[in-house]
Amino acid sequence: MNRSIVGSALVAAAFFGPGAAFAQPAPEAFVIGGVVPLSGAYALLGTSMQKGVDLAIEQRGKVLSNLFRAVTEDTETKPQTSVQKANKLLAGGVSMLFGDGASGQTLAIMPVADQRKVPLLVTTSAADQITGANRNRYTFRTSNLVFMETRIAAEYVKKAGLKSVYVVAVDQPVGRDAWTTMKGILSTMGVAVAGEDFAAIGSQDYSVIIDKIAKSGTQGVFVITTGADTITFLKQAGQVKLGSKVKIFGTGFLDDDAAMAVGPDVVGVKTVARYHFSYDTPANKRFVEAYRKKYNEWPNAYAGHAYDGINWFLDVVEKTGSWNPETWVTAFENSSYPASLFGPKQMRACDHQALGVGLWAEAAAGQAPQPPLLLKVTDTFPAAGLYPDCPKT
Amino acid sequence: MKRVLFLVLALAIVPLLVKDRGSLYFMTLIMIWCIFALGYDLVFGVTGMLSFGHAAFFGIGSYVFALVVGKNAALFLLGVVAAAVAGGAAALLMAAIALRLSGIYFSLMTLAIAELFYFAASSPLRTLTGGEDGITGVPRPAFFGVSFYDDASFYLLVLVFFALALAGSALLRRSPFGQALNGVRVNEVRADQLGFDVKALKLAVFGISGAFGGVAGALLASLMQFVNPQGLHWSTSGDVVIMSLLGGIGTLFGPLIGVAVFETLKETISSRTVHWYGILGVIFIVVTMFMPRGLHGAFERARLRFARETWR
Amino acid sequence: MSVILIGLSLGMLLFLLAAGLTLVFGLLGVVNFAHGSLYMLGAYVALQLVAWTGSFWLALLLAPLAVGLVGGLLERLTLRRLYGRDPAYQLLITFGYILVIEEFIRMVWGVNFRSINPPSPLAGTTELFGSTVTDYRLFIIGFGLLLSLALFFVVERTRIGIVVRAASANSAMVSCLGIDVGKVRTGVFVAGAMLAAISGVVAAPLLPLKLGMSFTIIIDCFIVVVIGGLGNIRGAILGAMLIGMMRAVGQQFAADWIFLLTYGLLIATLIFRPEGLFNVRGRTA
Repeated sequence: MNRSIVGSALVAAAFFGPGAAFAQPAPEAFVIGGVVPLSGAYALLGTSMQKGVDLAIEQRGKVLSNLFRAVTEDTETKPQTSVQKANKLLAGGVSMLFGDGASGQTLAIMPVADQRKVPLLVTTSAADQITGANRNRYTFRTSNLVFMETRIAAEYVKKAGLKSVYVVAVDQPVGRDAWTTMKGILSTMGVAVAGEDFAAIGSQDYSVIIDKIAKSGTQGVFVITTGADTITFLKQAGQVKLGSKVKIFGTGFLDDDAAMAVGPDVVGVKTVARYHFSYDTPANKRFVEAYRKKYNEWPNAYAGHAYDGINWFLDVVEKTGSWNPETWVTAFENSSYPASLFGPKQMRACDHQALGVGLWAEAAAGQAPQPPLLLKVTDTFPAAGLYPDCPKT
Repeated sequence: MKRVLFLVLALAIVPLLVKDRGSLYFMTLIMIWCIFALGYDLVFGVTGMLSFGHAAFFGIGSYVFALVVGKNAALFLLGVVAAAVAGGAAALLMAAIALRLSGIYFSLMTLAIAELFYFAASSPLRTLTGGEDGITGVPRPAFFGVSFYDDASFYLLVLVFFALALAGSALLRRSPFGQALNGVRVNEVRADQLGFDVKALKLAVFGISGAFGGVAGALLASLMQFVNPQGLHWSTSGDVVIMSLLGGIGTLFGPLIGVAVFETLKETISSRTVHWYGILGVIFIVVTMFMPRGLHGAFERARLRFARETWR
Repeated sequence: MSVILIGLSLGMLLFLLAAGLTLVFGLLGVVNFAHGSLYMLGAYVALQLVAWTGSFWLALLLAPLAVGLVGGLLERLTLRRLYGRDPAYQLLITFGYILVIEEFIRMVWGVNFRSINPPSPLAGTTELFGSTVTDYRLFIIGFGLLLSLALFFVVERTRIGIVVRAASANSAMVSCLGIDVGKVRTGVFVAGAMLAAISGVVAAPLLPLKLGMSFTIIIDCFIVVVIGGLGNIRGAILGAMLIGMMRAVGQQFAADWIFLLTYGLLIATLIFRPEGLFNVRGRTA
């Protein structure tokens, strides 16, 4: 009898332990619940996003006359963990959710935000479905989406007069969707598809594909990869000097950090730039200065968009003067943000996607104090014509 | 059996004491993993087969549940049953192939087969499973006029399954079937010579274990309202091995302790520091070196020592 | 034709990594899940050495020594206690190694992607059979061949090799003959770690260095080891070549089938020839 009680008490204690692990935040404080990857493949994304938000909080000080803060949970680049952490934050009582990194993770937490009726601000994930087929009342995106970036790339194809394009993509829904959109646009422009190759994500070796591209005689190659795959591809392509035969371009697959990791071979590769610290608006200049002062590094797209999106949302919240999330949602969906780092932005009520300019850039050598390799913005495309039409329903 | 009853009663009171939705969610998660670990221990702790592929049954359970239930919350029970059947069937299939081998080769084979399932769900069966993005909007149950959407009610529903799994596992271990499995672990050749059909025993326990995994997967899909290939990944198989070893294999409560401690550690440490992964690693190394019977074994040793001393 | 060359280089990279794993597997009976982490550590240490000295060759020489030291310490201090026990515990401890090494790398080198370039004499390209192949890949093929010959020689023909093989077959007898079996075991583990590190250094100019690179290759590595036969160097080479070729040819002609073919081969091997496709004697660990 003794044994049974002690034994089960011990096990029950182990179960109660978790209950004690949760702290309740003070009520009537504005809490941003961040669900971002701080470990795993996308750790760089999450840590940068966090930096952007932290800077915004520091500069603001208060929201609705109360101190506010962010509670950030690590989603480990796994959608299951994202859902778990989102639920945890919501149960702990957050005013809004912010995140996630990879599109798959964001799509997983969107229904959670919807059910608990808490606004979710997306500033990184680019999948079309987030403001398309899967959109919901509480999810907003202030950053780019795949459709828009694909259109920008298509504008480049037109401008450069490319007659044939080869595609290399990671075998992921986001990649395949982007290619389907692009293929449609290319056919209307009369550009031939020289070949298609899909690689498993995390592929170690693109040399076979690169060889095929070189042999196909194509004029351009459209690269839809992310993270490490981008670097692997560009490094290996650079080693066989593919860039001298073929124009390499992509949508948002390359940024300053990746350029540094590829090395000098990256010069000449073109891409949509989701953000760049050199973009010339007064708001951006101020942001970059403050960011460099606090973190001693140049801000990347994840930090920039996080800072921008959070400030926009918080401006809207302040203007409503209310603690009611429904009021925030209604106000946000009809708002515009003239003080954005990108120049004026407009939120669209029909799908909660923000409209803004598109930036096209080329990798080039930089001069100190800038990093030795970076993106240089070469074209700015106005918002009109870049975004999908409002959905019918 | 009394211990089981006490535990279940203790857990049943929890929602009355703890109102925090996050904690309830977390404890429900722990119970679900416990069901998975209980099933796994039947194969690993009781019968001595080191399987690295158990994630397959967990993941298949999740997917089958999500596909059967669709958006219809009333089909919950049907979904769970379907998941159990699917998990059990997959387990029988895996065992049938893998049992042709022994030792480390058996383990590697279970890993390889599980990887095939993972790949199938991520790529070729993409239209069915949603590929990497998975299936969202899996409903919480609502049947016989009761909605279990709320975290506290879902917790109690899962507790019922947990109690059944725990009781079932306890009864199984004590039954002649369980004793035979023990025998297989201790000395397979002898068991065979005594006339037991070792192959059939192994297949049977594997199938049962798969059913446990399937049920756990179904419950998880309903808890998170989301399914993706992560449940089929080898790291999920690795997790359940680690939890079992940590808690103490071969015992009824060992895996439960392992699950609770592992998940709690992950939660608490990860909230405090970014370096939680490394700390977890150090803990594993220390536990493996100094606590071979897991935490449960360590408790037992301490208790015995205490009992011996107080007897004087 | 270029596909064959690429397949060869892929295979060599795989072999370099699998060689260490199969040695440790075959001779110690230890399943070292942390083998990929030692590979990753080798690459990062090389990154640091190149940053300090500017010489890739120096890195290739010193990084394996450093990682070998780490491996030796790990074995001596922690793994050694577990030899008598259920192999499951060895697994658990190597899993612990993975977490600790990964966190260490994260603390020292951060989350950003890093990069090494091939050393200057090898940075160029050669036109072969109508394709452009990087000189560095040709180096990999050559280096891999050399290393495999060296390993083969040591294990099969030298006294050290005999001692190691004997210890794996019958350690009690070997220690009766006056040889310190513990030292032999540590030595094999260190050799495995060094091979993993060499593999990491050689692979680094081709790939981005990132946390988690240990996971991306470890499964492939295990497949090669199983197909080749545990503890069988000759088998590891042939297995690695087979898998490398399959990947290259597959990517060329039937990309969707690569995974299925690779795993299918693994499963078939386990079912029909579990001792490895290339093992003549039925050697089991």
